[in-house]
Amino acid sequence: MKRRMRAGVLILLTVSGVPTLSGLAAALWFGVDAASLMRVLDTPGIGLSIASSVWTGLVATSLSLALAHLAVAVAMTGGWRRRLNAFSLPLLAMPHLAVGIGLALVLAPSGLLLRLISPAVTGLTEPPDWLSVQDPYGLSLIAGLVVKETAFLVLVLFAALTQVPAERLLLQARLLGYGRLKAWLVAVAPLLQQQIRLPLAAVLVFGLTNVEMAIPLGPDLPPTFSVMLWRWFVDADPAIHVQAYTGTLLLLFVTVLTVVVASRAGRAFGILWGRWAENGSRLRGEATARGAVGAFVSSVWILGMMALLAILLRSAAGVWRFPDVLPASAALSSWSGVLPGAGNVAGTTILLAAATTLVGVILVLPVAEQLRRDAALRSRLGAWLFLPLLLPQMTFLFGVQVLLAYFGLDGTFPAVLWSHLIFALPYLWGLLAPARAAIDPRYLSVARTLGAGPARAWLTSTMPLILRSTLLGMALAFSVSIALYLPTLFAGAGRIATAATEAAAAAGSGTLRLAAVHGILLAVLPLAAFTGAYAAGAVLFRNRRGMPR
Amino acid sequence: MSALTLEQVSLRISGETLFAPFDLHVPAGVVTSVIGPSGSGKSSLLAYVCGTLAPQFEAEGRVLLDDDDVSGLPPERRGLGILFQEPLLFPHLSVCGNLLFGLRDGGGRRARRKIADSELASMGLAGFGDRDPDTLSGGQKARVALLRVLLSKPRALLLDEPFGALDRDNRVKVRQLVFDEIRQRKLPTLLVTHDEDDAASAAGPVVALGS
Repeated sequence: MKRRMRAGVLILLTVSGVPTLSGLAAALWFGVDAASLMRVLDTPGIGLSIASSVWTGLVATSLSLALAHLAVAVAMTGGWRRRLNAFSLPLLAMPHLAVGIGLALVLAPSGLLLRLISPAVTGLTEPPDWLSVQDPYGLSLIAGLVVKETAFLVLVLFAALTQVPAERLLLQARLLGYGRLKAWLVAVAPLLQQQIRLPLAAVLVFGLTNVEMAIPLGPDLPPTFSVMLWRWFVDADPAIHVQAYTGTLLLLFVTVLTVVVASRAGRAFGILWGRWAENGSRLRGEATARGAVGAFVSSVWILGMMALLAILLRSAAGVWRFPDVLPASAALSSWSGVLPGAGNVAGTTILLAAATTLVGVILVLPVAEQLRRDAALRSRLGAWLFLPLLLPQMTFLFGVQVLLAYFGLDGTFPAVLWSHLIFALPYLWGLLAPARAAIDPRYLSVARTLGAGPARAWLTSTMPLILRSTLLGMALAFSVSIALYLPTLFAGAGRIATAATEAAAAAGSGTLRLAAVHGILLAVLPLAAFTGAYAAGAVLFRNRRGMPR
Repeated sequence: MSALTLEQVSLRISGETLFAPFDLHVPAGVVTSVIGPSGSGKSSLLAYVCGTLAPQFEAEGRVLLDDDDVSGLPPERRGLGILFQEPLLFPHLSVCGNLLFGLRDGGGRRARRKIADSELASMGLAGFGDRDPDTLSGGQKARVALLRVLLSKPRALLLDEPFGALDRDNRVKVRQLVFDEIRQRKLPTLLVTHDEDDAASAAGPVVALGS
């Protein structure tokens, strides 16, 4: 590594790696405790709780992956790539917590879905006595995760497309006599799959360990393991906290085990997939399959949009009798209890997100510039920055909290900002580093030989070419920060209130109406950020077809 | 026995004519070469025959295999095989996997594998079935690509500068092999190239575009 490269890379690694690794070390130090482990294992329902975490995580991840691959295959071979992209973005932008709260409002017995078809289809005039949300099998939780993760994986697959000669492989397979869909699925999809292993692992880990969706949607009595731990963490009794520390290590163990088993299973599935490629059958009549995929993807999208709608309606609804689709009256009563503090919460949320975005871009851009020609180091650094997304958040965050408390930094704004940066950096890097590296270096040489100094050459020839990616990265970092719940809770020591912490607390205590009020901010801010980034990207250089997109 | 026929084929892009309508009849086992400088429209002609022409082109005419008009069909149903300049072996499949991908369906896994192995042996590549295609030399890759397309039983073959990426020694050998197979299997073949040497060794009619 050249010496001048070191500083920026080291700063990035420090910002991301030091808290992650030392948090993990502290978690091991404070969490390993035989007596405490016995208490954790003696908790009633613990086995079922762990099982439901593993079940929901595995099923949701497999479904999302399959759906994302099929959606990309159908879109890329049917000429609606742009539409799928546009479909996925709002689902990506909305935080898990907001989608979770919204879906709880959609799927509940008195929810939007049943209202839409009652009494016409169901004949119901009163909400039925169903466990359609927080069902013991975790189906509503799985549905929620699928809505979010399918959108995420679709965009990850689109990004991976730049690494694969997809068009030519597809053409080659078609000219060997295969229909578009099978051609894509056996000739292109496996190559994409190899590119997305890290993000896929992150999806699985999140599915197994999240509380954001498991609180409003997950089963109760017992809850998923992560929600059980979360309840221990926020318990007033400090004796229970020790149990939570040990529990997070058990969560880490279960997570690692599941990821290892899942990746083995994935490899076995890959072999079966290869057999399908090699059996020589040329599928005909793909129209049905394409239609089915289209219908499924559309319903996932509609579910996501209904979640947003439900949040808006619920928070402003007054009298809203079942089975009326719309409330009979608007009432801001839910708002009135919140409004006095709402300005503060909104202010803190936006300030944190803006600071995360700004600091993140300032840290990432120079390193992306320095490593533009070093693909190996770029991908290694990317993998390191990705580490926090591969660990259960709770496990290392509680270690971080212990360390912050030791230095008297917990509950401070910089501490929370740092915890948000850990999660924003992998996305910023993943977007900006490849965008910078993709620029033809000769542009810069041309600018320099035309007499521009280094700074002016960068500003006039490099910056405009990465502006669009930078705007998108900023919107992404902003949204990530808005969505972060556990980091805010732990690093903030419960003293820093954002839309996420308020919404999660309300959802946790079962007051969905209040959760919806906070959910609005949670859903709308990221959507606004993405809309802004896209609008700016579209307006700037709108007459320049050659600009990178 | 089959034949590939182009009838009154012409291409235009944004109002500009790439080439005027022309007819071409390629009988079984004959390699007809289309030569011309870059920009003369030979790649576009090939894309038109395959059915993969970009939508900004306006095309007229018909493509016939024997008496079947295939002009309106999607590429996978035209019954055409193509060899590109790059062998485009699927990198995630083994050498044998690539051949089995080409082989028409029918037969159990073991029977299919046997076919692929014996075909490999006939090309002097015995025992290469389980190899990663990326570890093959350029000449070996070209052979596997040729086998793969032949196993898909095309009714006609298109060659898109297929020898361009090979060094001179391999070029002559692979070219001879390809032309031998074409004659033996009586495939009507359209060769697109800018290399007159290729056209000469094809020993068939030559059409010059854009001259």
